[in-house]
Amino acid sequence: MDVPETVRTALDDRPVAGKTCLEAGAGVGNATAGLLAAGADRVYAVTNDSDHAETVRERVGRDAAERAAVVEADLREIPLPADTVEVITAHGLFNVIPPASLPAVAAELTRVAAPGCHLVVDDYEPPPDDAPVRDLFAVENAAAELADGRPALTFYPADALRRLFAGYGWGFDRERTLLDPVPWTGSHVDAHAEAARESASALPDELGDPLSAEADRLADRIGGESVGAMYSVAMQLSC
Amino acid sequence: METRSLGDTGHESSVMTFGAIALDWLEQEGANRMVELLLDRGVNHFDVAPTYGDAELKLGPKLRQHRGEIFLGCKTQEREYEGARRKLERSLDRLGVDSIDLYQVHGLEYEAELDTITDDGGALEAFRDARDEGLVDHVGLTSHGNPGLILDAMDRIDDLETVMFPMNPVVAGKDGDEYDYEAVFERAEAEGVGTLGIKSFAKGPWPSTDELPEADRPYANWYEPVDRPDEIRERFDFAAARGLTSVVSPGDPKLVAMVADAAARYDGMDEAARRSLVERLRHEDSPVPEQLHH
Repeated sequence: MDVPETVRTALDDRPVAGKTCLEAGAGVGNATAGLLAAGADRVYAVTNDSDHAETVRERVGRDAAERAAVVEADLREIPLPADTVEVITAHGLFNVIPPASLPAVAAELTRVAAPGCHLVVDDYEPPPDDAPVRDLFAVENAAAELADGRPALTFYPADALRRLFAGYGWGFDRERTLLDPVPWTGSHVDAHAEAARESASALPDELGDPLSAEADRLADRIGGESVGAMYSVAMQLSC
Repeated sequence: METRSLGDTGHESSVMTFGAIALDWLEQEGANRMVELLLDRGVNHFDVAPTYGDAELKLGPKLRQHRGEIFLGCKTQEREYEGARRKLERSLDRLGVDSIDLYQVHGLEYEAELDTITDDGGALEAFRDARDEGLVDHVGLTSHGNPGLILDAMDRIDDLETVMFPMNPVVAGKDGDEYDYEAVFERAEAEGVGTLGIKSFAKGPWPSTDELPEADRPYANWYEPVDRPDEIRERFDFAAARGLTSVVSPGDPKLVAMVADAAARYDGMDEAARRSLVERLRHEDSPVPEQLHH
């Protein structure tokens, strides 16, 4: 269960050992793995995606089964009591949270957080205007907006999330650059093209087909690209 | 080219070390020109071994011509006193020099070997006698084996002055003690032991010999190397920026000039860029499950 350097770097100055932790938006469980490796007493890996939940269960495996629990839930309604979690990670989470859902997610994370809780938000600065991956993300967003009425990806500057959480009582602790540049590899690009095609397939052909074709064309042209930056912002809830 | 202290040896090594196995693939005149090129670029630390075909013989003429400018590392795979002494004398003879600056235990792989080397009648006793006689100046160790074994060796060999071990971004991205050369680096730093990085330019293992017969491999390296100037540069920067004393060039002569150029241009690599490289290669190795995030 390799812990990515990004996660390791984001956690290495946080007091994780012996703490009750929550990974918000568990994905494939990268931060869950990092929290367990750093000695967390308990980790709740919260995701609303059943495939991700299964991946995290397999990844955590039997070794850490007693210390980790995969919770399939919406981050706006986390089935945990108030004031109980001591460390929360949102590693690559907020870029998949549409602006309209931000307040509800921030409020719910704040609700489960114990006084003095640490929050680590790792995400991507908006990619530069001239980055080809930005075109692919735009197609992915266009298809998602038309299909689901919300964007697939929103890249919030570190400052924006920091100020959002300040409004919920979180004090700023530090910011680090995790990746600069961000390596959008061939497999990332393909995965985003696939996400665009999936949204497009729900649309009428005359709308969906050109979006799919454009996603394919862009993925093919981009291959892989290293661009932009990934940040880590650490905050703490007032006691 | 930048130079750095080789541990507590008192020597300032160039940030690139020439892996002289590359000379084995060249004719004598080509070997001579290669050495001139490296000296011209500012490389002052060379590393050779008796197991590198004719590399010692081909290094000899230019080594003797420029003896004062070259810090010479050599090594032996012999684990007992007599064998090690014999190999040392043979290397001195083949190189045509009076002394070797750094003599290393070559390719330590097993705990039992470490026992033999450190016991009475072991290779280290021969190294120390040779040091007393002025045939050898410093004592080192090389290994691409288990990091734990290298740490053991550092514990057990009090007069160890350098270690040579892998420093590679693909390996750095993997967890598990068997990949933890970071621990070796940190211990060496703490103890004033010089650090020499190998395998920095390895991309991955060669395809199976069924797929690509050994004779058809385009490079004479143990692993498939990166071979574009930009890749060579980022690999060099990655290893040098970690703080190693020096990064050893790969074995194929076609790559050496590119590495020397990267070394001459080296101006650091910040942590976010180092992580970016690790992250990029981490995903290259594991396309499943497909990930949207880092």
